[in-house]
Amino acid sequence: MPEFFINGQPVHAERDQTVLQAALAAGFYIPYFCWHPHLSVAGNCRLCVVEVEGEKGGSNWMEISCNMPVTEGMRVLTDSEPVRERRRQTLQLVLLNHPVDCGICDKAGECSLQDAHYAYNGELSASREPKVAGPKFHELSERIVLDNERCILCSRCVRFTNEVSGSHSLGIQFRGDHSLVRAAEDGSFARDPYSDNVVDICPVGALLSRQFLYRSRVWYLEPTPSVCPGCSRGCHVNLWHRKREWALREVGKAENLRIQRITPRSCDEVNGDWMCNTGRDLVAHYERPRASSPLLKGMPASVIDAMARARDLLRAARRPVAVISGWASNEELAAFRAAFGTRLGCVLKTDRPAAPGEPIADEVLIRADKNPNTRGVQDALAPLLPEVPADADLLLVWGEGYDFARAPRGARFILMSPFLAPENGHAEVFLPLSLPIERAGHWTNEAGITSRFEPCFAPPAGVLHAESILAQLASHEEATA
Amino acid sequence: MSGAALIMDFAVTPDSHRLAAYRARGGYATLAKALAMAPQDITREVSDSGLLGHGGAAFPVGRKWSVVKLHDGQPHYLCANADEGEPGTFKDRWILENAPHRLLESMLIAAYALQVRHCFVYIRGEFDLPYQRLQGAVEEAYEAGLFGSGILGTEFACDIVIYRGAGSYVCGEASGLITSIEGKKGYPRNRPPRLTVKGLYQQPTVINNVESLANIAGIVRDGAQAYRAIGTPRSPGTQLVSISGHISRPGVYELPYGTPLKDFLFETCGGMAGGKRLKGLIPGGISTKVLTEPDLEGVTYDHASLLAAGSSLGSGGMIAIAEGTCMVRLLQVMLRFWHHESCGQCTPCREGMGWMHRIIDRIVAGQGQPGDLERLIAIAHANDGTTICGMGDAAGYATVGFLDKFRDEFEHYLTHGRSLCDGVLDVTGGWDA
Repeated sequence: MPEFFINGQPVHAERDQTVLQAALAAGFYIPYFCWHPHLSVAGNCRLCVVEVEGEKGGSNWMEISCNMPVTEGMRVLTDSEPVRERRRQTLQLVLLNHPVDCGICDKAGECSLQDAHYAYNGELSASREPKVAGPKFHELSERIVLDNERCILCSRCVRFTNEVSGSHSLGIQFRGDHSLVRAAEDGSFARDPYSDNVVDICPVGALLSRQFLYRSRVWYLEPTPSVCPGCSRGCHVNLWHRKREWALREVGKAENLRIQRITPRSCDEVNGDWMCNTGRDLVAHYERPRASSPLLKGMPASVIDAMARARDLLRAARRPVAVISGWASNEELAAFRAAFGTRLGCVLKTDRPAAPGEPIADEVLIRADKNPNTRGVQDALAPLLPEVPADADLLLVWGEGYDFARAPRGARFILMSPFLAPENGHAEVFLPLSLPIERAGHWTNEAGITSRFEPCFAPPAGVLHAESILAQLASHEEATA
Repeated sequence: MSGAALIMDFAVTPDSHRLAAYRARGGYATLAKALAMAPQDITREVSDSGLLGHGGAAFPVGRKWSVVKLHDGQPHYLCANADEGEPGTFKDRWILENAPHRLLESMLIAAYALQVRHCFVYIRGEFDLPYQRLQGAVEEAYEAGLFGSGILGTEFACDIVIYRGAGSYVCGEASGLITSIEGKKGYPRNRPPRLTVKGLYQQPTVINNVESLANIAGIVRDGAQAYRAIGTPRSPGTQLVSISGHISRPGVYELPYGTPLKDFLFETCGGMAGGKRLKGLIPGGISTKVLTEPDLEGVTYDHASLLAAGSSLGSGGMIAIAEGTCMVRLLQVMLRFWHHESCGQCTPCREGMGWMHRIIDRIVAGQGQPGDLERLIAIAHANDGTTICGMGDAAGYATVGFLDKFRDEFEHYLTHGRSLCDGVLDVTGGWDA
């Protein structure tokens, strides 16, 4: 634990920390573009320069802090006038060939270059030369486009594919101010299941997501902390949606209730700063047509009638079995337990099986188990049945994804699902369910880490939360017990 | 320069680069002597000799070697930097073409001293004859059992790989060279870690200039004191100097450090071509600051004296510039080179070189504006000590040097839109030979 001084204040550093890491941990501001906590040090943007006071009367020297090991007793200045001047110079050079087209740039509002420019430079360009022009819309893959004029060649994206996703699919072509980030010609970048992360780590608006391209200015959006339901990794994510105060009134009203984009939320224990492309594509999964009314054998019914029928069915059943949703939260599972005790046999089902072509599992994040809460279900409802027994006469199917063709002959169904689907009409009772983005709860991932997700929208009219459905069914159970 | 020649100590004939001729000059006898010594004794001898790096930075070779821990259980690598790309420099080419075995013997001794199993020679891609000569020498040496295992009947084993560069200037920088050998884009690396701690394939690596290495055999043969007897106390030994430009007898010369510079220029090299006056001298490759004739008064050819004169010894590549040469256009050529060769990794050099080049292009096109020269100096300062490798600094120093010494010429170009020197320079027929 070396101790050193930043701007005269004593700071403790961890072993092997660099000055930048120790300074950021201690709350000092040092701007940077190329450094990233989960990538190797490239040291190419030169913005994180600090001044080190010379020892024993030696003169002060300046060096980049991201590659400077902390040594005992060293004295570092992060905001001296020479440091500010050096950063101004560097920013002037970074911006020399940058188009400054913030007005049409998706990154505007969350751009490191904008922040640094406001903090240090803020001046008009000193250059009288024409800027080096570059391709403005280069398609790196179907998902990602690159604006080479905005690119500051920090190499974060290149290092990401080398060090995190392992696809080694990006590189820098040519030299000097003609350098261009380009994807390998074998198409490996398009196949990289983590490619969208480069959009998040791009410090400027050079790498752009096709999904989010020109969708919204980021300052109209706010993030809701959530957990990705895509697999049992349970990556921490942010769901970005329009702020209430910026809600659109008439035109584009539907945008208010859309998730505009999904980005990873930093969590060292679960997913670091990353998530897979599949998790981002779940936006489309949520946007399918929703079921909003209870059905009795396919005919719209009131909630009261539907509940009464469900209670009757449950009471009459000889061998009722629950097909449990892998998306059920720990709270809902507790409600299920409270409602039915051990009267229903339980089978776990996958709500969203892997789509054709979707990566099944890898060494980075993606897990083969596509349920976010397998651990939670096992913990709450053990012992689980391996499959639906052949003599089951009533199935309480929770969530979508159950293959009704494999159901026992003659069994009847109570179905709870968020989406419109043909099988809704085949159920004796159908109850419309809320989505995880409309409720709060906890999921326990495969490593046993329990994470909370928050609602970002209110459920649509007529849609019920599983907890309330189960409680209403439970009131019957208690009455007859 | 006879008497003090350490490298150019033989007459060049069509066969003098071959193994037989080298053996006839006593070649590879020093290797046998070295293999009987303890490795650390060789390093001590090299340290005692005061041998300085001959590639440009003049870092003491012995000090670089002594960082490598012999028994750390890691593989060590030795690499000869033959990527001689500094404009005006072609001294290593002479060694590669005429004394390749001298380099190989020295590398074997160095490899033994540093316990290296695999050596590399990173040779400039444009070097064709030097490559063929070196490749031929390596084949001869392998045939004679000088590489491989059981060298000269000892347990010492060493292999050598010649790696041809692809034409990037920055790959001559030691860490850029290493990334290039590793098969990556030739981007220099940040220090720390030093290359002698984590170099090629993240193992301790010693990279020395061809000429530095070529001196090892002589130092081990004759001892450190014999080497120290030549040159000055602070710059022992000799330097191969390649001189080009408007000089009567351009070529490669071996100079003991401490040689009076004007004697060398005006006697050994026969003075300026066509009897012109000397306008400027770039003493060690275009990355060193230009000197004018008054600056050269009393200057001797060694590191301290050139530093005191306001420049540095650099890579030993001198360029003599005759009166009548337009310094604005000369700087334009240099800036075009640096712009072309900037690797583009770190911001100040990537953006600064292009900016300086575009400004000087505009000045030369007659579109100079007030403030342009100040801007050039400001960009040069923005590169001073801010880049990963030394290229940005060097380009900045050299640019500032030109603007310092020939400010009036630049001002004239700026205000009149044309050169002071138009139509003056004529050195046709001025060269001897």
